Amino acid sequence: MAACCRNLHKCAHYLRSVRLQQIQNERLLSTSSCRLAPSDKPGKFIPPSKPVIIDKAQSATSQRKFLSPEFIPPRQRTDPLKFSMERKDMIRRRKVLDIPEFYAGSILAVTMTDPNANGKVNRFVGICIQRGGKGLGATFVLRNIIDNQGVEICYELYNPRIQQVELLKLEKRLDDNLLYLRDALPEYSTVEPNMKPVPAPSTGEVPLNKMKVRMRPKPWSKRWERPKYNVQGIAFEQILSAEQLEHAQKWAQPWLQYDMLKEYDTSRIQEEILTEVTREMGQ
Amino acid sequence: MRLTLQMLISHGRVARRMGLGPESRINMLRNILTGLVRHERIETTLARADEVRFYAEKLIDYAKKGDTDEKAMKMASFWLTEKDLVPKLFKVLAPRFETQTNGYTRMARLPNRTNLDRAKMAVLEYKGNPFPPLYPVKKENELTLINQLLKGYREDMAQQLATKA
Repeated sequence: MAACCRNLHKCAHYLRSVRLQQIQNERLLSTSSCRLAPSDKPGKFIPPSKPVIIDKAQSATSQRKFLSPEFIPPRQRTDPLKFSMERKDMIRRRKVLDIPEFYAGSILAVTMTDPNANGKVNRFVGICIQRGGKGLGATFVLRNIIDNQGVEICYELYNPRIQQVELLKLEKRLDDNLLYLRDALPEYSTVEPNMKPVPAPSTGEVPLNKMKVRMRPKPWSKRWERPKYNVQGIAFEQILSAEQLEHAQKWAQPWLQYDMLKEYDTSRIQEEILTEVTREMGQ
Repeated sequence: MRLTLQMLISHGRVARRMGLGPESRINMLRNILTGLVRHERIETTLARADEVRFYAEKLIDYAKKGDTDEKAMKMASFWLTEKDLVPKLFKVLAPRFETQTNGYTRMARLPNRTNLDRAKMAVLEYKGNPFPPLYPVKKENELTLINQLLKGYREDMAQQLATKA
């Protein structure tokens, strides 16, 4: 291989070897020497071509059928007109700002204007632990650990101060609400601030991370072992005894899953709103 | 008094508080609903009948999914405390209401209870049951004055259309 390279580009090799005696054969195989070779004037510097970054995470959102949860109105007496008007405003905002599909457990980077920040712009990278609110007031909470200090920022999704929402890693977790990461070991909520986007599959199911986190010893901010929270993503067996886990079941309400009055079937509303949103976004 | 479910839902409150707590309420309604499925017409207090009416309709909605559906089977086996009624729900009641999408039950007031207290009473039934009707059936009489006039009017209109065409 080295000999072949040398035969093809003899002049380049000669010039470089005269200039830099100590360079060995392996160094000549590097890309920079190969790129230099085809030029007529070997001494002239040609800058390498700019790498084309294909953002696979962006193309993924367009192919999957997805409706952001804040479009679905809550089950209450409020006039539906309010939600339809808010939906129009949300679509207008989404035409300007690209808001990707994300879930609790995904890693996001949010760029927001901040009058007190250096350069007037602040970028925060963190794991999304909670999505809340309906309509224009929808929020999401990003959590990260910076200088051994847990930091959480609650962003409003349709805040005009938000300049960019980047999806760094698309992922689902076993729970829809990851507030228990506050009481977990810090390694589970630490995210590298200069993280590169991880390409996600463009079609099919969103990858599900079945990781079970290890918790700090009690007391916790909430009693996560209680059936009310229905947490799947904690390895309870490592921190709680069998008696404690059994004791927590005292607060179980097994009849709630059969109470049909508590059910809120959104499948029909979801389809209607999804067709409306895709039609409006297409215009 | 409940107007509709949508009107009642405010701050998450959708149900009456009855019995000795939430679990007791559900168990009481289970027993009433089992009786309703067995006899197809029952007599209870107004509040209980009104509460159980929602569950009776939802149970039919689940039964329409068929007995192969896992959720429907779970619901049926929970709400019917006597298990011999589960085949009746899927084989008799679900096919009966295949053409309807809602309104499977009918409720009517009864006179207040007198022997125990003055509680408001009501009767709740599944439609299409073999009992005599709750309300008197309206008789269609061709020979009333208005029906005769309408009949003549329709004949005149039909004749006019025929002559035009």
